[in-house]
Amino acid sequence: MFLAISTWVIVTSGVLALLYILRCACARTPKFNLNDLVHFLYPVDLSLLDSLLDPAADFALRWSLNPRAFRREQRRRMRLYRELLRRMAHNSIILADFGNALFGEDERPACACELEGAVIKVRLYTGFARLRLRLWLLLSLDALGVVPTPQLANLRKAADLDGRKAYDELKIAAAAAFARLQPAELDALTRNL
Amino acid sequence: MSDLVWYIPLALLLLLLCVLVRGHSYRTFPCFFAYVAFGVAADSTRLVTQSHPKPYFWIYWITDAGYALLGAVALQEVLRKVLRGVRGMWWARLIFPAILAAGVVLSFWHLHEAPPQVQGRLLLAIVTGEIAVRFAQVLVFAGMVAFVPLFGLRWRQQPLGIAMGFGLYSTVALLITLKLSDFGTRFKFLWGVASLVAYSLAVLIWIWFFSFPQKEEPAPNPEQVAFALDTLNRYLEWLRRMR
Repeated sequence: MFLAISTWVIVTSGVLALLYILRCACARTPKFNLNDLVHFLYPVDLSLLDSLLDPAADFALRWSLNPRAFRREQRRRMRLYRELLRRMAHNSIILADFGNALFGEDERPACACELEGAVIKVRLYTGFARLRLRLWLLLSLDALGVVPTPQLANLRKAADLDGRKAYDELKIAAAAAFARLQPAELDALTRNL
Repeated sequence: MSDLVWYIPLALLLLLLCVLVRGHSYRTFPCFFAYVAFGVAADSTRLVTQSHPKPYFWIYWITDAGYALLGAVALQEVLRKVLRGVRGMWWARLIFPAILAAGVVLSFWHLHEAPPQVQGRLLLAIVTGEIAVRFAQVLVFAGMVAFVPLFGLRWRQQPLGIAMGFGLYSTVALLITLKLSDFGTRFKFLWGVASLVAYSLAVLIWIWFFSFPQKEEPAPNPEQVAFALDTLNRYLEWLRRMR
């Protein structure tokens, strides 16, 4: 019975995938105005991101606060970092959508491929990091004293990807790909990412 | 007339081969090109030996094994293209083996639950391998389609087109395999027609995807990118001062 269920699940996923592609083929591609790109982005405070991932900050807090206060503070920092990850994931998808609309399907320049690769890395990193954060916040094993409160610095890498480095590569790829923006918009793009 | 219908996939494969040669796709997708070339050769050989039962029997099963093997190799090529951005990650190298292993496990399980009606270990191995590759093809196709909304990938790109053709045919083939074991051989002709239509559609999908030239320039090296960004920043600074 389990075999039949597994096989039917796989066959159904194949059918759903075909229907999705059919929908993509029939749907009209929305016309993106490149000058609107900046307004779709959420600002990501990279200095805050660096301070949250700083192992020295984790260490200093653990020493200066009692376990209960440290746990409370660490959960606050986790929620902050979760928000930053959400913004990074959102920005990467927006850049991918605008990139696909700008460069079309044929004869894509190298900067479009670089942007696509950078988007995949950021999405993978944010996906895995958010999953870990969700588990840490949900399970709260540190409340029972079973495990020590997790260090945010451990989230610097997820799925073997350095998050900060991946996001920097995304910024560089976006600046190269959208170089045809007006200088003011390009400046705003790099500031908002 | 009805006999000619069975040669439609061969005609379409020939057309696809011409499209691939014209677009020089043997450079970007050598394994898929090998699969298509093999398909043309295999179907032509089957056509020639059709009236000789004994040679036809062996040629059918040997070419069937070839289809499964080259199908798996083409699949790996497609995955490598799509995951080139994360190629350096240790887990990226495990994706294809894991999918293939899942296909093999399901195939062996299916073999245990509903043994195929073939004689001889060699034919049993070929059928088992074929079913394993079918499972892997559907899994890869479904996974790649999931990449489209999750990672903002373009759906209209050749690797996804290849996976789509394999996925469509394998989905129908798996359905036929399931239903044949449930209902027996009463609907053999209907399943044969369904299989023919599905494979023809798969080849048409491949023809459509490869009809549009999709060139990608080689990526610049990091030094070039850093230099370009530095130039850009200096230009922006100069513009700010001018205002």
